[in-house]
Amino acid sequence: MAKLTYKMIPEGMLEGKYVPLNIAFIDYREVKNAGVTPRQAFEAVAKTVDGPVGMNIFDQDVVTTTSDGVMVEGTVRFMAAADKGKINPDFGYLEMAEMPYSDELIKEEPHLIQWKKNYPGKRLFRGPDPATKIIPVHNVCISGRASNNNSATEMMNIVTMEEILLPILGQQQILRNGKVILGMTGGIISVGIGMIMPEKFGRVFPTRQFPAGETAHGSGPYAQTLKAHIPCIVADKAVLAENIIKCLEAGCIPGRTVGASPAVLSVARSMGVEIDMGNITDRAYEELGSVGFTKEWMQEKVDILTPEEIIARADEIIPGVVDGTKYNVPDLIKETTIEL
Amino acid sequence: MYLERYSVRIYELSFAFIVISLWTAERVFNMKLMHTKLPEFLEKMRVASEESSNPKPIKIRGLENLTSAKMQSLRTGRIEHAVREMTMKDGVERIEFQVIPRVPETMHTVIIKGVDKDGKAKSAILEVLNILHPTEEAYLLDCDDIEDRRPGIGRH
Repeated sequence: MAKLTYKMIPEGMLEGKYVPLNIAFIDYREVKNAGVTPRQAFEAVAKTVDGPVGMNIFDQDVVTTTSDGVMVEGTVRFMAAADKGKINPDFGYLEMAEMPYSDELIKEEPHLIQWKKNYPGKRLFRGPDPATKIIPVHNVCISGRASNNNSATEMMNIVTMEEILLPILGQQQILRNGKVILGMTGGIISVGIGMIMPEKFGRVFPTRQFPAGETAHGSGPYAQTLKAHIPCIVADKAVLAENIIKCLEAGCIPGRTVGASPAVLSVARSMGVEIDMGNITDRAYEELGSVGFTKEWMQEKVDILTPEEIIARADEIIPGVVDGTKYNVPDLIKETTIEL
Repeated sequence: MYLERYSVRIYELSFAFIVISLWTAERVFNMKLMHTKLPEFLEKMRVASEESSNPKPIKIRGLENLTSAKMQSLRTGRIEHAVREMTMKDGVERIEFQVIPRVPETMHTVIIKGVDKDGKAKSAILEVLNILHPTEEAYLLDCDDIEDRRPGIGRH
Protein backbone atom coordinates (compact mmCIF):
# COMPACT_ATOMS: atom_id res chain seq x y z
CA MET A 1 0.00 0.00 0.00
CA ALA A 2 1.34 3.44 -0.97
CA LYS A 3 2.21 5.94 1.75
CA LEU A 4 2.15 9.69 1.82
CA THR A 5 4.32 11.71 4.20
CA TYR A 6 3.59 15.39 4.70
CA LYS A 7 3.98 18.18 7.22
CA MET A 8 1.02 19.16 9.35
CA ILE A 9 0.29 22.11 11.61
CA PRO A 10 -2.74 21.33 13.77
CA GLU A 11 -5.39 23.98 14.47
CA GLY A 12 -4.77 25.75 17.77
CA MET A 13 -1.84 27.37 19.54
CA LEU A 14 1.59 27.01 17.94
CA GLU A 15 4.35 28.37 20.16
CA GLY A 16 2.08 31.16 21.41
CA LYS A 17 0.52 32.04 18.03
CA TYR A 18 -2.99 30.99 17.05
CA VAL A 19 -3.30 28.83 13.94
CA PRO A 20 -6.96 29.07 12.87
CA LEU A 21 -7.21 25.83 10.94
CA ASN A 22 -5.23 22.67 10.24
CA ILE A 23 -2.56 23.14 7.57
CA ALA A 24 -0.97 20.40 5.46
CA PHE A 25 2.17 20.95 3.38
CA ILE A 26 2.68 18.14 0.88
CA ASP A 27 5.74 17.67 -1.33
CA TYR A 28 4.75 17.00 -4.96
CA ARG A 29 7.52 14.39 -5.15
CA GLU A 30 5.72 12.43 -2.41
CA VAL A 31 2.47 12.59 -4.38
CA LYS A 32 4.14 11.34 -7.55
CA ASN A 33 6.00 8.60 -5.67
CA ALA A 34 2.70 7.45 -4.14
CA GLY A 35 1.23 7.12 -7.64
CA VAL A 36 -1.84 9.25 -6.92
CA THR A 37 -3.20 12.46 -8.41
CA PRO A 38 -2.96 15.71 -6.42
CA ARG A 39 -6.72 15.62 -5.85
CA GLN A 40 -6.53 12.05 -4.55
CA ALA A 41 -3.72 13.06 -2.21
CA PHE A 42 -5.80 15.95 -0.88
CA GLU A 43 -8.81 13.68 -0.39
CA ALA A 44 -6.69 11.20 1.55
CA VAL A 45 -5.25 13.91 3.82
CA ALA A 46 -8.68 15.55 4.28
CA LYS A 47 -10.15 12.27 5.52
CA THR A 48 -7.68 12.26 8.43
CA VAL A 49 -8.78 15.69 9.70
CA ASP A 50 -11.97 16.13 11.72
CA GLY A 51 -12.14 19.87 11.09
CA PRO A 52 -11.17 22.63 8.65
CA VAL A 53 -7.90 22.12 6.79
CA GLY A 54 -5.98 24.04 4.13
CA MET A 55 -3.76 21.84 1.96
CA ASN A 56 -0.91 22.73 -0.40
CA ILE A 57 1.10 20.55 -2.76
CA PHE A 58 4.48 22.22 -3.20
CA ASP A 59 6.69 21.49 -6.21
CA GLN A 60 10.36 22.07 -5.34
CA ASP A 61 11.47 21.60 -8.95
CA VAL A 62 9.83 24.72 -10.42
CA VAL A 63 10.15 28.47 -9.85
CA THR A 64 7.81 31.29 -8.91
CA THR A 65 7.92 34.94 -7.89
CA THR A 66 7.24 36.52 -4.52
CA SER A 67 4.57 39.25 -4.34
CA ASP A 68 7.25 41.90 -4.89
CA GLY A 69 8.62 40.05 -7.91
CA VAL A 70 11.67 38.22 -6.56
CA MET A 71 12.11 34.89 -8.32
CA VAL A 72 12.48 31.91 -5.99
CA GLU A 73 12.68 28.13 -6.23
CA GLY A 74 9.59 26.04 -5.57
CA THR A 75 5.93 26.91 -5.28
CA VAL A 76 2.48 25.59 -4.54
CA ARG A 77 1.09 24.03 -7.72
CA PHE A 78 -2.07 22.50 -6.26
CA MET A 79 -4.20 23.85 -3.44
CA ALA A 80 -7.30 22.69 -1.62
CA ALA A 81 -9.53 23.29 1.37
CA ALA A 82 -11.59 20.71 3.23
CA ASP A 83 -13.85 20.55 6.25
CA LYS A 84 -14.52 17.36 8.22
CA GLY A 85 -13.09 15.33 5.37
CA LYS A 86 -15.07 16.99 2.58
CA ILE A 87 -13.60 18.98 -0.29
CA ASN A 88 -16.30 21.17 -1.82
CA PRO A 89 -16.73 19.87 -5.41
CA ASP A 90 -17.03 23.35 -6.95
CA PHE A 91 -14.78 25.49 -4.78
CA GLY A 92 -12.45 23.19 -2.86
CA TYR A 93 -9.61 22.60 -5.32
CA LEU A 94 -7.44 24.67 -7.69
CA GLU A 95 -4.37 24.16 -9.85
CA MET A 96 -1.83 26.84 -10.73
CA ALA A 97 -1.18 27.63 -14.37
CA GLU A 98 2.21 27.27 -16.01
CA MET A 99 3.60 30.41 -17.65
CA PRO A 100 5.81 29.25 -20.52
CA TYR A 101 8.97 31.24 -21.24
CA SER A 102 8.75 33.70 -24.13
CA ASP A 103 10.44 36.93 -25.11
CA GLU A 104 7.00 38.53 -25.17
CA LEU A 105 6.44 37.56 -21.51
CA ILE A 106 9.80 39.02 -20.44
CA LYS A 107 8.92 42.23 -22.27
CA GLU A 108 5.59 42.48 -20.45
CA GLU A 109 7.03 41.44 -17.08
CA PRO A 110 10.62 42.73 -16.95
CA HIS A 111 11.28 41.34 -13.46
CA LEU A 112 11.44 37.95 -15.20
CA ILE A 113 14.92 38.81 -16.52
CA GLN A 114 15.91 36.85 -13.39
CA TRP A 115 14.50 33.68 -14.90
CA LYS A 116 17.09 32.99 -17.59
CA LYS A 117 19.95 34.30 -15.46
CA ASN A 118 19.16 32.54 -12.20
CA TYR A 119 16.92 29.58 -13.05
CA PRO A 120 17.38 28.66 -16.71
CA GLY A 121 15.11 25.86 -17.89
CA LYS A 122 12.93 25.81 -14.77
CA ARG A 123 9.14 25.91 -15.24
CA LEU A 124 7.29 28.94 -13.84
CA PHE A 125 4.04 28.76 -11.86
CA ARG A 126 2.28 31.53 -9.93
CA GLY A 127 -1.54 31.69 -9.75
CA PRO A 128 -4.31 29.81 -11.57
CA ASP A 129 -5.77 30.60 -14.97
CA PRO A 130 -9.01 32.43 -14.09
CA ALA A 131 -10.83 30.43 -16.78
CA THR A 132 -10.37 27.31 -14.65
CA LYS A 133 -12.15 28.64 -11.57
CA ILE A 134 -15.74 29.55 -10.69
CA ILE A 135 -14.91 31.99 -7.90
CA PRO A 136 -15.00 35.40 -9.58
CA VAL A 137 -12.10 37.32 -8.03
CA HIS A 138 -9.90 35.67 -5.44
CA ASN A 139 -7.61 32.72 -6.15
CA VAL A 140 -9.23 30.86 -3.31
CA CYS A 141 -10.43 27.39 -2.34
CA ILE A 142 -13.27 27.20 0.16
CA SER A 143 -14.84 24.15 1.79
CA GLY A 144 -17.04 24.80 4.81
CA ARG A 145 -15.02 26.80 7.32
CA ALA A 146 -11.68 26.36 5.57
CA SER A 147 -10.41 28.96 3.13
CA ASN A 148 -7.08 28.73 1.33
CA ASN A 149 -6.55 32.06 -0.39
CA ASN A 150 -4.20 34.04 -2.64
CA SER A 151 -2.92 30.92 -4.39
CA ALA A 152 -2.23 29.16 -1.09
CA THR A 153 -0.34 31.91 0.75
CA GLU A 154 -2.98 32.90 3.28
CA MET A 155 -5.40 30.62 5.06
CA MET A 156 -8.48 31.39 7.10
CA ASN A 157 -11.21 29.88 9.18
CA ILE A 158 -14.13 31.86 7.77
CA VAL A 159 -16.36 31.09 10.75
CA THR A 160 -13.96 32.28 13.46
CA MET A 161 -12.60 34.76 10.87
CA GLU A 162 -9.03 34.17 12.09
CA GLU A 163 -6.26 34.03 9.50
CA ILE A 164 -2.59 33.13 8.98
CA LEU A 165 -0.15 34.30 6.31
CA LEU A 166 2.10 31.78 4.61
CA PRO A 167 4.39 33.61 2.16
CA ILE A 168 5.91 31.36 -0.46
CA LEU A 169 9.51 31.51 0.80
CA GLY A 170 8.33 30.38 4.24
CA GLN A 171 6.63 27.40 2.63
CA GLN A 172 9.82 26.67 0.69
CA GLN A 173 11.69 26.52 3.99
CA ILE A 174 9.03 24.29 5.52
CA LEU A 175 9.38 21.81 2.65
CA ARG A 176 13.19 21.98 2.83
CA ASN A 177 13.32 21.59 6.62
CA GLY A 178 15.07 24.96 6.72
CA LYS A 179 14.53 27.88 9.07
CA VAL A 180 11.39 29.97 9.51
CA ILE A 181 10.18 32.84 11.66
CA LEU A 182 6.83 32.51 13.39
CA GLY A 183 5.45 35.87 14.43
CA MET A 184 2.87 38.56 13.78
CA THR A 185 2.79 40.15 10.33
CA GLY A 186 2.99 43.74 11.54
CA GLY A 187 2.80 47.02 9.64
CA ILE A 188 5.92 46.73 7.48
CA ILE A 189 4.95 43.45 5.81
CA SER A 190 1.37 44.74 5.53
CA VAL A 191 2.70 47.60 3.43
CA GLY A 192 5.25 45.41 1.61
CA ILE A 193 2.74 42.93 0.21
CA GLY A 194 1.06 45.79 -1.64
CA MET A 195 4.24 46.62 -3.61
CA ILE A 196 3.63 44.09 -6.33
CA MET A 197 4.77 43.57 -9.91
CA PRO A 198 2.37 43.30 -12.86
CA GLU A 199 1.86 39.61 -13.64
CA LYS A 200 -0.51 37.60 -15.79
CA PHE A 201 -1.98 34.74 -13.76
CA GLY A 202 -0.31 36.15 -10.65
CA ARG A 203 -0.72 34.65 -7.25
CA VAL A 204 -3.15 37.37 -6.20
CA PHE A 205 -4.12 39.18 -9.41
CA PRO A 206 -5.00 37.38 -12.65
CA THR A 207 -4.05 40.36 -14.85
CA ARG A 208 -1.25 42.92 -14.91
CA GLN A 209 -3.45 45.31 -12.98
CA PHE A 210 -0.84 47.39 -11.15
CA PRO A 211 2.40 48.70 -12.70
CA ALA A 212 5.76 48.55 -10.95
CA GLY A 213 6.19 51.37 -8.44
CA GLU A 214 2.47 51.42 -7.66
CA THR A 215 0.73 50.01 -4.59
CA ALA A 216 -2.02 47.46 -4.94
CA HIS A 217 -3.42 48.61 -1.60
CA GLY A 218 -3.92 52.30 -2.32
CA SER A 219 -4.90 52.71 1.32
CA GLY A 220 -2.61 55.51 2.48
CA PRO A 221 -1.81 55.28 6.19
CA TYR A 222 -4.30 52.43 6.59
CA ALA A 223 -2.15 50.00 4.54
CA GLN A 224 0.06 49.23 7.56
CA THR A 225 -2.96 47.97 9.49
CA LEU A 226 -4.33 45.59 6.85
CA LYS A 227 -2.59 42.38 7.98
CA ALA A 228 -0.80 43.68 11.06
CA HIS A 229 -2.47 41.46 13.67
CA ILE A 230 -2.36 38.23 11.69
CA PRO A 231 0.22 35.54 12.52
CA CYS A 232 2.64 34.51 9.79
CA ILE A 233 5.28 31.92 9.06
CA VAL A 234 8.00 33.44 6.90
CA ALA A 235 11.45 32.37 5.79
CA ASP A 236 14.50 33.16 7.88
CA LYS A 237 15.61 36.65 6.83
CA ALA A 238 18.97 35.29 5.66
CA VAL A 239 17.06 33.21 3.09
CA LEU A 240 15.04 36.24 2.03
CA ALA A 241 18.23 38.32 1.74
CA GLU A 242 19.91 35.66 -0.39
CA ASN A 243 16.98 35.60 -2.81
CA ILE A 244 16.69 39.39 -3.04
CA ILE A 245 20.45 39.66 -3.65
CA LYS A 246 20.18 37.17 -6.55
CA CYS A 247 17.31 39.22 -7.96
CA LEU A 248 19.22 42.50 -7.74
CA GLU A 249 22.43 40.93 -9.10
CA ALA A 250 20.38 39.80 -12.11
CA GLY A 251 19.75 43.46 -12.84
CA CYS A 252 16.35 44.18 -11.29
CA ILE A 253 15.84 47.76 -10.13
CA PRO A 254 13.62 48.40 -7.09
CA GLY A 255 10.57 50.45 -8.04
CA ARG A 256 10.98 49.71 -11.75
CA THR A 257 11.70 46.05 -12.38
CA VAL A 258 11.12 44.65 -8.92
CA GLY A 259 8.59 45.79 -6.31
CA ALA A 260 9.58 48.57 -3.89
CA SER A 261 8.82 46.57 -0.78
CA PRO A 262 10.65 47.47 2.44
CA ALA A 263 12.60 44.19 2.26
CA VAL A 264 13.79 44.79 -1.31
CA LEU A 265 14.56 48.46 -0.59
CA SER A 266 16.54 47.56 2.53
CA VAL A 267 18.75 45.00 0.76
CA ALA A 268 19.18 47.32 -2.25
CA ARG A 269 20.30 50.18 -0.02
CA SER A 270 22.89 48.00 1.70
CA MET A 271 24.13 46.74 -1.68
CA GLY A 272 24.32 50.25 -3.10
CA VAL A 273 21.82 49.32 -5.82
CA GLU A 274 19.98 52.27 -7.35
CA ILE A 275 16.30 52.63 -6.45
CA ASP A 276 14.11 54.08 -9.21
CA MET A 277 12.61 56.72 -6.96
CA GLY A 278 11.02 58.55 -9.88
CA ASN A 279 8.93 55.54 -10.79
CA ILE A 280 7.45 55.05 -7.32
CA THR A 281 4.03 56.68 -7.17
CA ASP A 282 2.90 59.17 -4.54
CA ARG A 283 0.37 56.64 -3.27
CA ALA A 284 3.14 54.07 -2.79
CA TYR A 285 5.37 56.66 -1.07
CA GLU A 286 2.56 57.50 1.31
CA GLU A 287 2.27 53.86 2.39
CA LEU A 288 6.02 53.27 2.54
CA GLY A 289 6.53 56.51 4.48
CA SER A 290 3.89 55.50 7.02
CA VAL A 291 6.20 52.70 8.21
CA GLY A 292 9.44 54.68 7.94
CA PHE A 293 10.55 54.08 4.35
CA THR A 294 10.53 57.70 3.25
CA LYS A 295 12.37 59.31 0.34
CA GLU A 296 14.92 60.56 2.87
CA TRP A 297 15.45 57.01 4.14
CA MET A 298 16.00 55.79 0.58
CA GLN A 299 18.61 58.52 -0.05
CA GLU A 300 20.40 58.10 3.26
CA LYS A 301 24.01 56.98 2.90
CA VAL A 302 24.72 53.67 4.63
CA ASP A 303 27.67 51.30 4.66
CA ILE A 304 27.78 49.27 1.48
CA LEU A 305 28.05 45.61 2.36
CA THR A 306 29.00 42.49 0.47
CA PRO A 307 26.28 39.91 -0.22
CA GLU A 308 27.81 37.67 2.42
CA GLU A 309 27.71 40.48 4.99
CA ILE A 310 24.09 41.28 4.15
CA ILE A 311 23.09 37.64 4.55
CA ALA A 312 24.97 37.40 7.84
CA ARG A 313 23.32 40.60 9.13
CA ALA A 314 19.92 39.99 7.50
CA ASP A 315 18.05 40.11 10.82
CA GLU A 316 19.11 43.71 11.40
CA ILE A 317 18.93 44.85 7.74
CA ILE A 318 15.56 43.43 6.68
CA PRO A 319 12.62 44.78 8.66
CA GLY A 320 9.28 43.11 9.27
CA VAL A 321 7.58 40.53 11.54
CA VAL A 322 6.57 41.58 15.03
CA ASP A 323 7.19 39.37 18.04
CA GLY A 324 8.88 36.80 15.82
CA THR A 325 10.89 33.76 16.85
CA LYS A 326 13.19 31.76 14.59
CA TYR A 327 12.78 27.98 14.42
CA ASN A 328 14.36 25.06 12.69
CA VAL A 329 11.36 23.65 10.83
CA PRO A 330 11.54 20.12 12.36
CA ASP A 331 11.31 21.73 15.81
CA LEU A 332 8.09 23.55 14.84
CA ILE A 333 6.23 21.37 12.35
CA LYS A 334 5.83 17.62 12.59
CA GLU A 335 5.64 15.09 9.79
CA THR A 336 2.74 12.70 9.39
CA THR A 337 2.53 9.54 7.29
CA ILE A 338 -0.70 8.02 6.07
CA GLU A 339 -1.47 4.92 4.04
CA LEU A 340 -3.37 5.52 0.82
CA MET B 1 -65.77 8.50 -45.64
CA TYR B 2 -63.90 6.72 -42.92
CA LEU B 3 -60.65 8.39 -43.98
CA GLU B 4 -62.33 11.78 -44.05
CA ARG B 5 -63.66 11.35 -40.49
CA TYR B 6 -60.27 10.09 -39.40
CA SER B 7 -58.56 13.17 -40.87
CA VAL B 8 -60.96 15.49 -39.07
CA ARG B 9 -60.22 13.66 -35.83
CA ILE B 10 -56.46 14.08 -36.35
CA TYR B 11 -57.03 17.76 -37.11
CA GLU B 12 -59.01 18.24 -33.88
CA LEU B 13 -56.44 16.40 -31.83
CA SER B 14 -53.61 18.41 -33.36
CA PHE B 15 -55.41 21.65 -32.60
CA ALA B 16 -56.03 20.58 -29.03
CA PHE B 17 -52.36 19.57 -28.68
CA ILE B 18 -51.19 22.97 -29.95
CA VAL B 19 -53.51 24.80 -27.55
CA ILE B 20 -52.37 22.70 -24.59
CA SER B 21 -48.72 23.12 -25.59
CA LEU B 22 -49.04 26.90 -25.82
CA TRP B 23 -50.83 27.05 -22.50
CA THR B 24 -48.21 24.87 -20.83
CA ALA B 25 -45.36 26.81 -22.44
CA GLU B 26 -46.87 30.04 -21.26
CA ARG B 27 -47.11 28.73 -17.72
CA VAL B 28 -43.54 27.45 -17.76
CA PHE B 29 -42.31 30.57 -19.50
CA ASN B 30 -44.09 32.85 -17.06
CA MET B 31 -42.91 30.75 -14.16
CA LYS B 32 -39.35 31.27 -15.21
CA LEU B 33 -39.83 34.95 -15.83
CA MET B 34 -41.88 35.68 -12.75
CA HIS B 35 -40.23 36.35 -9.45
CA THR B 36 -41.66 36.24 -5.98
CA LYS B 37 -41.59 39.29 -3.71
CA LEU B 38 -39.34 38.91 -0.66
CA PRO B 39 -42.16 39.26 1.95
CA GLU B 40 -44.28 36.81 -0.04
CA PHE B 41 -41.38 34.36 -0.18
CA LEU B 42 -40.91 34.54 3.60
CA GLU B 43 -44.65 34.03 4.15
CA LYS B 44 -44.75 31.08 1.77
CA MET B 45 -41.99 29.34 3.72
CA ARG B 46 -43.71 30.05 7.05
CA VAL B 47 -46.97 28.64 5.73
CA ALA B 48 -45.26 25.58 4.23
CA SER B 49 -43.79 24.76 7.64
CA GLU B 50 -46.20 26.07 10.25
CA GLU B 51 -49.39 25.25 8.35
CA SER B 52 -48.26 21.89 7.07
CA SER B 53 -50.47 18.92 7.91
CA ASN B 54 -47.67 18.12 10.33
CA PRO B 55 -46.87 21.72 11.41
CA LYS B 56 -43.39 22.65 12.65
CA PRO B 57 -41.89 25.96 13.74
CA ILE B 58 -39.45 27.46 11.25
CA LYS B 59 -36.54 29.88 11.72
CA ILE B 60 -35.43 31.63 8.54
CA ARG B 61 -31.90 33.08 8.44
CA GLY B 62 -29.69 34.64 5.80
CA LEU B 63 -32.12 37.10 4.27
CA GLU B 64 -32.17 39.64 7.12
CA ASN B 65 -30.01 42.09 5.18
CA LEU B 66 -32.39 42.22 2.23
CA THR B 67 -35.05 44.90 2.16
CA SER B 68 -36.09 44.80 -1.47
CA ALA B 69 -35.60 41.67 -3.54
CA LYS B 70 -37.30 39.37 -6.01
CA MET B 71 -36.86 35.64 -5.52
CA GLN B 72 -36.64 33.11 -8.36
CA SER B 73 -40.16 31.66 -8.64
CA LEU B 74 -39.20 28.36 -10.19
CA ARG B 75 -37.16 27.53 -7.10
CA THR B 76 -39.58 29.16 -4.67
CA GLY B 77 -42.12 26.44 -5.38
CA ARG B 78 -39.55 23.70 -5.06
CA ILE B 79 -38.25 25.13 -1.81
CA GLU B 80 -41.78 25.38 -0.40
CA HIS B 81 -42.20 21.76 -1.33
CA ALA B 82 -38.93 20.83 0.37
CA VAL B 83 -39.95 22.66 3.56
CA ARG B 84 -43.29 20.84 3.63
CA GLU B 85 -41.47 17.56 2.99
CA MET B 86 -39.09 18.21 5.88
CA THR B 87 -42.01 18.83 8.29
CA MET B 88 -43.28 15.34 7.45
CA LYS B 89 -40.04 13.53 8.29
CA ASP B 90 -39.97 11.34 11.39
CA GLY B 91 -38.22 12.91 14.34
CA VAL B 92 -38.14 16.45 12.97
CA GLU B 93 -39.28 18.94 15.61
CA ARG B 94 -38.40 22.25 13.99
CA ILE B 95 -37.08 23.62 10.71
CA GLU B 96 -33.89 25.67 10.39
CA PHE B 97 -33.97 27.48 7.06
CA GLN B 98 -30.63 29.07 6.08
CA VAL B 99 -29.83 30.97 2.89
CA ILE B 100 -26.13 31.35 2.00
CA PRO B 101 -24.36 32.46 -1.20
CA ARG B 102 -24.04 29.54 -3.64
CA VAL B 103 -20.73 30.96 -4.87
CA PRO B 104 -18.80 31.67 -1.67
CA GLU B 105 -17.30 34.91 -2.93
CA THR B 106 -19.82 37.68 -3.45
CA MET B 107 -18.99 40.96 -5.19
CA HIS B 108 -20.49 44.09 -3.72
CA THR B 109 -20.58 47.76 -4.51
CA VAL B 110 -20.04 50.03 -1.53
CA ILE B 111 -21.77 53.40 -1.73
CA ILE B 112 -20.19 56.03 0.50
CA LYS B 113 -22.48 59.01 0.51
CA GLY B 114 -21.95 62.35 2.21
CA VAL B 115 -25.22 63.95 3.25
CA ASP B 116 -25.83 67.63 4.14
CA LYS B 117 -27.85 69.03 7.04
CA ASP B 118 -31.03 68.91 4.94
CA GLY B 119 -30.59 65.25 4.18
CA LYS B 120 -29.50 65.85 0.58
CA ALA B 121 -26.62 63.89 -0.90
CA LYS B 122 -23.59 66.15 -1.42
CA SER B 123 -21.10 63.63 -2.74
CA ALA B 124 -20.62 59.90 -3.21
CA ILE B 125 -17.75 57.48 -3.70
CA LEU B 126 -18.30 54.01 -5.12
CA GLU B 127 -15.97 51.20 -4.07
CA VAL B 128 -15.97 47.45 -4.52
CA LEU B 129 -15.86 44.81 -1.78
CA ASN B 130 -15.48 41.09 -2.42
CA ILE B 131 -16.65 38.99 0.51
CA LEU B 132 -15.66 35.39 1.25
CA HIS B 133 -18.25 33.13 2.89
CA PRO B 134 -18.24 29.62 4.34
CA THR B 135 -19.75 26.99 2.03
CA GLU B 136 -22.62 24.69 2.96
CA GLU B 137 -20.35 22.15 4.69
CA ALA B 138 -19.96 24.62 7.57
CA TYR B 139 -23.72 24.42 8.23
CA LEU B 140 -23.94 20.65 7.90
CA LEU B 141 -21.17 19.50 10.23
CA ASP B 142 -23.68 17.51 12.32
CA CYS B 143 -25.70 16.07 9.44
CA ASP B 144 -25.03 12.98 7.32
CA ASP B 145 -28.40 12.61 5.57
CA ILE B 146 -28.06 15.25 2.86
CA GLU B 147 -29.95 15.24 -0.43
CA ASP B 148 -28.43 17.78 -2.83
CA ARG B 149 -31.18 18.90 -5.21
CA ARG B 150 -29.24 21.85 -6.64
CA PRO B 151 -28.58 21.90 -10.37
CA GLY B 152 -25.05 22.70 -11.58
CA ILE B 153 -23.86 26.26 -11.14
CA GLY B 154 -25.36 28.52 -13.80
CA ARG B 155 -28.48 26.40 -14.28
CA HIS B 156 -31.97 27.17 -13.02
